[in-house]
Amino acid sequence: MVMTATQAQSATGSVAVSTSPLGAVARWVTLADHVRIGMSLALGAALWLAIAAVVGVVLGVERFDVGASVVNADAHIQLFSVHQFALVFGVAAPLMLGIALWSVPSQLHASNISLPRLAAFGWWAWLAGSITVLVSYLGNGGPGGGSERYVETYLLGLGLVMLGLVALAISLATTVLTRRNGLPLSAISLGAFSAVVGALGMVLTLPVAIGTIVYLWVDYTNARVAFGGAGLIDSWLGWTMREPQTLLYVAPALGVLGDAAVRTAKSRQPLRGVMLTAMGIAATVILSSVTQQAHVFTVGTSPSETLASFVPYALFNVVPLLAPVVVILLSLLALKAGTPSLSGAFVAAFLGVGMIFTGLVGSAAMHLDVLDLVGTVFGEAALVYVVYGAVLASIGAVALHAGAVTGKALPDLPVTLLALLGVAATVLASLPHYIAGLLDQPRAAAVGYDDSGIVGIANIATSLGHALMLLVLIAFIGLFVSSRRSAAIADRYRVEASA
Amino acid sequence: MTAPALTAGPARRTSTVLVASALVAAGAAALMGGMLAMWLQFRANAPTRVASDGVSLIKDWLKKDVAIPEVASNTMMFTFVIACVMAQWAVYSARRGDKSHTTLALAVTLFTGLAILNAQVALWMQIDIVLRNDAYETMFYTVTGTMFAIVASAMVYSLVAMFRVLAGRTGDHDVLTGHALYWYAVSGMFAAMWFVVYVQK
Repeated sequence: MVMTATQAQSATGSVAVSTSPLGAVARWVTLADHVRIGMSLALGAALWLAIAAVVGVVLGVERFDVGASVVNADAHIQLFSVHQFALVFGVAAPLMLGIALWSVPSQLHASNISLPRLAAFGWWAWLAGSITVLVSYLGNGGPGGGSERYVETYLLGLGLVMLGLVALAISLATTVLTRRNGLPLSAISLGAFSAVVGALGMVLTLPVAIGTIVYLWVDYTNARVAFGGAGLIDSWLGWTMREPQTLLYVAPALGVLGDAAVRTAKSRQPLRGVMLTAMGIAATVILSSVTQQAHVFTVGTSPSETLASFVPYALFNVVPLLAPVVVILLSLLALKAGTPSLSGAFVAAFLGVGMIFTGLVGSAAMHLDVLDLVGTVFGEAALVYVVYGAVLASIGAVALHAGAVTGKALPDLPVTLLALLGVAATVLASLPHYIAGLLDQPRAAAVGYDDSGIVGIANIATSLGHALMLLVLIAFIGLFVSSRRSAAIADRYRVEASA
Repeated sequence: MTAPALTAGPARRTSTVLVASALVAAGAAALMGGMLAMWLQFRANAPTRVASDGVSLIKDWLKKDVAIPEVASNTMMFTFVIACVMAQWAVYSARRGDKSHTTLALAVTLFTGLAILNAQVALWMQIDIVLRNDAYETMFYTVTGTMFAIVASAMVYSLVAMFRVLAGRTGDHDVLTGHALYWYAVSGMFAAMWFVVYVQK
């Protein structure tokens, strides 16, 4: 008799797991445990990071010389758009959710996540949606796309991606809220706390985007009189892929840094309440996101007019900055309170949150009317800072929790070196565009600016930065795989965070 | 002699189903809230033009000759009240261990949902607009269609809860409480939509 099931009960009652390739595929398809779902998401995000890095390299080369053209000029809009999608919904959101789902049960001493099948649905929906989006771009769809069928496909895929992320976020938030073993929220690990902040933020903001997608799809397939067709998709949905909304996606990075500091220094967080408040401040982004306004600060003709412009600007652009800056400062305080030493997890998380902070500062600066940066590459650079910062923090999270989750800790020195290389890649991929933005290089365009001098160099430098990040990614995957195969080393982070 | 102090029992775990139901309801509310906010924005920004009398201004939103079938829309609103009462009755009956009343309450909730969907379809058939002319028509069908899907999701919840009770899982009070919570939330969403789309138009 041919065995079709992946598991069969033996005569002694033990469960035998099929080792056939078909069985392995079946197990993966029906996965419903936090380690596999989390790792699948992280792997999917790694593939999208590779795509984002390659597209980033191509865009840098394309913008190096306005006269020369590497790719067809008609494909420029799609290239810029796919780069943005890849960074946000291909990398930042699924990577952070995946790492959180992977590690949160071990932080809470729970056996699995809540609603694992919902999480599995979320993973498959995200995967199917992201592939659909990629196919739609290849078929001349996406924002500004020329193919009607593939523009519709893009909207369908984007909706599916967001639905999947919401399902994953619900599973994550439910896990933290219900599997705390009686601990109050204020006493759980900082990583779990920041994960629930990010997850709740996604549950409350992404459905607003899904509603907009439904409107856009109905309008696009029928009258096209209300929402302006494919050319204006980005104007309706762009807020989901810009700061400060991206802070919600990467909020778990704050907790990674907080936990890494106390576990590295083997200390307690002296101002734990302030730390939790700072993480909660990240949730103020929800207000900014659902209003979908740019909130640019303009100096008015009277003090009251200036104040009227400054208050919403500060609320939506400056207040979220408090989250990373307080977490960074309190992490250093925790190090000081204990016995600090070189730690790969801390270095990666610290640099990652630092990059996220730099991106958010850039976004806040961009919304100062006096600098006239809206519509320049400055915004692209801010996004790259935030997303690559999240990648670095994820490296820190894997180093921090690998021992507890997989039983095989990662060696410190290679993680530290990769984190340093990663921060160099991030700065190289972003900072030159901050400079080019100040020199008025337009966003999402490969023409219409002076490419001589520093702007041309800036564009080619970003290409190098993206290529370097691709190398960091490959090296880290290699390190993780090799650590799984080699003998176990001591897990220096095994000491629990202070309660 | 003093009695030894009892140690504290294990902390009661928060119900997974209840929390998940609340989160799904919050997500659905964000979905509907966002759609209604866009509706209000479009309505506020609808262009105005001078009417044929040359004096009054007309807003290009809902055409003057289109009448909203208010009997159907108001019936839906009142039917939601019945659905909420039935869902709460299911919780009450389950706590008293009354399986037959719990099942009956869930069945009535389910059929109430069906009646709401039926009224929505009737409204679509009565209203004299198509999906091809202007922003109002596009948004009307989109927002009401989304509400239709949300009500259908609540009905699926009722069906699942009913089958669980029929299968003998009468002790799952949290499922029934979560079910009632979801129906309350859906009713609140419909009330908001009813006021914005059918009353204020």
